[in-house]
Amino acid sequence: MQQAIPCNSGRTWFAPTAASNGVVHVTVKDRPSVDGPSTSSSSSDGGGGGGGGGGMRRLVAENPVLVVGRRGCCMCHVVKRLLLGLGVNPAVFEVAEDAEAALVDELAEIAGGSGVRQQVLFPAVFIGGRLVGGIDRLMAVHISGDLVPILKEAGALWL
Amino acid sequence: MLQGPAGAFHVISSPNSMSSASAQFATSRRMGIYEPNHQISMWGDSFKADSSQNTGASTIVEADAKHDNRLGDIPRESSGPSKKYDQEAHKPADKVLRRLAQNREAARKSRLRKKAYVQQLESSRLKLSQLEQELERARQQGVYVGGHLGDSTLGLSGTVNSGVAAFEMEYGHWVEEQNRQTCELRTALQAHVSDIELRMLVESGMSHYDNLFRIKAIAAKSDVFYLMSGMWKTSAERFFLWIGGFRPSELLKVLSPQLDPLTEQQVVAVCNLQQSSQQAEDALSQGMDKLQQTLAETLTSDPLGASGVANYMGQMANAMGKLEALVSFVNQADHLRQQTLQQMYKILTTRQAARGLLALGDYFQRLRALSSLWAARPREPA
Repeated sequence: MQQAIPCNSGRTWFAPTAASNGVVHVTVKDRPSVDGPSTSSSSSDGGGGGGGGGGMRRLVAENPVLVVGRRGCCMCHVVKRLLLGLGVNPAVFEVAEDAEAALVDELAEIAGGSGVRQQVLFPAVFIGGRLVGGIDRLMAVHISGDLVPILKEAGALWL
Repeated sequence: MLQGPAGAFHVISSPNSMSSASAQFATSRRMGIYEPNHQISMWGDSFKADSSQNTGASTIVEADAKHDNRLGDIPRESSGPSKKYDQEAHKPADKVLRRLAQNREAARKSRLRKKAYVQQLESSRLKLSQLEQELERARQQGVYVGGHLGDSTLGLSGTVNSGVAAFEMEYGHWVEEQNRQTCELRTALQAHVSDIELRMLVESGMSHYDNLFRIKAIAAKSDVFYLMSGMWKTSAERFFLWIGGFRPSELLKVLSPQLDPLTEQQVVAVCNLQQSSQQAEDALSQGMDKLQQTLAETLTSDPLGASGVANYMGQMANAMGKLEALVSFVNQADHLRQQTLQQMYKILTTRQAARGLLALGDYFQRLRALSSLWAARPREPA
């Protein structure tokens, strides 16, 4: 269904046409506003709770890389550009302001796994179904050279 | 010399002859009627009386436009002028009159200009001393003054941003300590001290950088634009400014040559670090561009104001929110700098790290010195 394929770092990402190349960028909106590429995935109903039910959980599980951020957030953009620059096509979930709080809770639960709640800050990055952290953490992991291995492990990168 | 009130009398005289000539003046003015003969004879008298007179001879001219004056040609410089005057007094002298009138006019204008210039100088001087006083007062309060005073940070009106002032002071101390540590490192490396001692110096150096990022974080909350402006740095340093500080990749370029010899493993690690920091930098830069773009978009949505005040306020609130993001950017940039330094520390041996820190400290010292030199360079007069 969804898989990331390696691409050259300079390549910009455009919303795919159906399943032509098998790459999917999920942008689920909880409001029918015009903002960015349109979604081609139906994995989430985009309800007020930010995905509703198991939607979020499924997103996290099914995407090698998932970025959850506020709509129009520039830090989210930074995360996206960093990942794209590495050759990764992240799935991006943009949340509206009023849905934030609920989503934070949900994500914390998902990330906690065994019930331990982690603090979730936006933009939040999930790799291989696990919460890596916010931009702080992402930068640190990248500088220490650990990011690319994690990405490869999650199947987000081939090389 | 031309002196006296404009248009009434023009006396070209040397100091010596002044008193005698002026006495003659008074008389002729009161008379009100210009009689050439009388005038000239007065001259003659005055000159005779003051035979020691030479250059800058007194020339008495009655500037009375009512009368059709006919003056003899009055030589400006003469010795023993009496005879000459008698001879030339009766020559028709329209040209002379005209010339004299022009001279008077020129002299008058010159005096007016001089007066205006002097007034300007006086008021400038006053203003300058006022400014100096304010500056001194502000400096004593530890307020940051210098650079772009027009900023909202603070003006000379005395509104103090204490966060900025505190940072300025702390940063000043930080630089001093930095210089001291750099010297210490230099001495230690030259003296080939043991690794243990070097390690202590290196760890001090690393935690010193941590201090910098800490005080910057506090300042960012207080006034992010101040940090971003780089006004707390010297001018040459400012040239290299990237999101409120130095570029991590630049830093590595400065360090790398100083670290040889490196093991192969280290070479790879440094290379990877170079690449990672560059990638992170690029991502942050792109984020900044996006921020600029969205901020601009927020502010340009409704130039006609057609959507009303509420909408305007909404836009402003929106824009304010966007500006908040700048704090994050500065923090992330500093975080990147810190991470880069720490990663280098992990890759290198103690001795290499010491050399690296020395190279960095020395580099920044030179930049600051360059800024001073530049500021003090001789400039062509405007």
